[in-house]
Amino acid sequence: MKNSSTAKKQLTLSPKDIFITGYIFFAAFYLCVVLSLVDEGSSYVSMVFLLAVFLISRLTEGYFYGIAASVAGVFGVNYFFTFPYMQFNFSMPGYPLTFVTMLIVSVATSTITSQLKKSEQVKAEAEKEKMRGNLLRSVSHDIRTPLTAIIGSSETLLDNPDTEESKKRELIAGINSDASWLLRMVENLLSITRLESGGASLELRTEIIEEVVGAAVVKFRKWHQNSPLRVEGSNELLMADMDAVLIEQVLLNFLDNAARHSKGATDIELKVEKKGDMAVFSVCDNGCGISKQDMPYLFSGTRPGKADSDRSLGIGLSVCRTIIKAHGGRVFAGNRPEGGACFMFMLPLTEVEYE
Amino acid sequence: MSNKNCILIIEDEATIRNFMSNSLTANGYKTITAKDGQQALVMISSYRPDVILLDLGLPDMDGMNIIKSVREWSLVPIIVVSARGMETDKVKALDLGADDYVTKPFGTSELLARIRSALRHWQMRKDSNIAEMGSFKSGDLEIDFDKRRVTVRGEVVHLTQNEYKIVAILSKYAGKVMTYDYIIKEIWGPYTKGDNQILRVNMANIRRKIEDNPSEPRYIITEVGVGYRMTEEDE
Repeated sequence: MKNSSTAKKQLTLSPKDIFITGYIFFAAFYLCVVLSLVDEGSSYVSMVFLLAVFLISRLTEGYFYGIAASVAGVFGVNYFFTFPYMQFNFSMPGYPLTFVTMLIVSVATSTITSQLKKSEQVKAEAEKEKMRGNLLRSVSHDIRTPLTAIIGSSETLLDNPDTEESKKRELIAGINSDASWLLRMVENLLSITRLESGGASLELRTEIIEEVVGAAVVKFRKWHQNSPLRVEGSNELLMADMDAVLIEQVLLNFLDNAARHSKGATDIELKVEKKGDMAVFSVCDNGCGISKQDMPYLFSGTRPGKADSDRSLGIGLSVCRTIIKAHGGRVFAGNRPEGGACFMFMLPLTEVEYE
Repeated sequence: MSNKNCILIIEDEATIRNFMSNSLTANGYKTITAKDGQQALVMISSYRPDVILLDLGLPDMDGMNIIKSVREWSLVPIIVVSARGMETDKVKALDLGADDYVTKPFGTSELLARIRSALRHWQMRKDSNIAEMGSFKSGDLEIDFDKRRVTVRGEVVHLTQNEYKIVAILSKYAGKVMTYDYIIKEIWGPYTKGDNQILRVNMANIRRKIEDNPSEPRYIITEVGVGYRMTEEDE
């Protein structure tokens, strides 16, 4: 499929390439005309056109333009710049040589150019493949642990119907918590694939920020009913262009992160402020903060040598970064001087006139 | 409980069908199930369920077609079950006449709340007493429809004409999601531009007047990409 599409590309004429070809060719022609006013000879003519053919082959896609330029060049030189002027004369000595030289230059240059482009593409593709592989590896690893727990616990329940009631509840609670962790993982993966399948899938709309924040908070409260969350919005009505579903996901990841990992936190604050022409969203807690070892890997999705029990560091934050980057915003994380961690992101505000 | 409400579950995944059926039975409903569209249509016309729970992704037909064909002859409440990120599908289903939706994965309490509110609205429509409803109460928010007065903790809230109309519509259908388009058409008429900015700015102002914290609404919840929902007393 790839081959047929490139073949098609060579056959269809692109306006850009036609323009480049025409422009260079005209420049060469004009240069020769100017030079002929000062220099009686004609030795420079074929050199100028050779250079033109080289440039055209280098700057255009495929072989077509280079070859067309060399053919046109040979005839043009013959017609305009060699004796007898303004007519063709193919009996000149060395003429076939000029023709063949131009042809070879054009074909060789085009080949090198397209090879260069192809190798760049291959390199980028390989890089992407590597990233995808890494993500897949870390995800499959992350997924296996809770799945093992779920299967194990449910089998225990199935095989031992007379387990103690309190033990039963414990096992079921474990299944429930592992399953909801898996769910969040899948939601994150969905967000990432939506972004990776091309920027076009970002559904940007002008949203009222407090609505998106409110929706995220309502969802968060459903999972963590006793979380010490405080929400502080801006008094001003703030709007920003965003994909609301994805930004909601980022807020949920931040909140979930604070609820799960800030040991000893008695206060989690979600705040939205206006700073200049940006909206700053922050989730801060007064818990244990971010450890030094974790800091450099926070948003990368993997930490070398992490333990299984740590898994929930997972891909959540790297998803956040991907989403915010796609929105043209920025993410930060750090520890507060008075203790606890802070995660923030900024989005450009949108000014909307309304009556 | 001799006249238990009968709920039809249309879902192709057996585990989810079982889970829904079990939790609904445990909560005092009678359930019947269908695993594809054909079976569902037959069961709807022969059993006349009181509520239909419809998964949009069915093996043999598009769930939308079921909504369309049921709405040709019945107003039985339809609650759509759909996945996250399918906001346009939800809006389409609601436009076709579905009453509400739940997003997979959902908890039992959420599902029960949707069913309760769908049943109540259907009952009210059958008794055609929506117009006679004199007042509405949810938490500290009270609306007196006769006096067109909204109070929070007994204090009168001053709403503009349009703001009052928005609050009134949402509370009339409390517990049920109302799409942006529906509210806009009800208030600004059918020929308003397709932009929902005006509604959302009005909503932001309403929230500043009735909610303690507009970023953490208690009464009017935003359903991102779909519309608004007024919370009910029992939620």
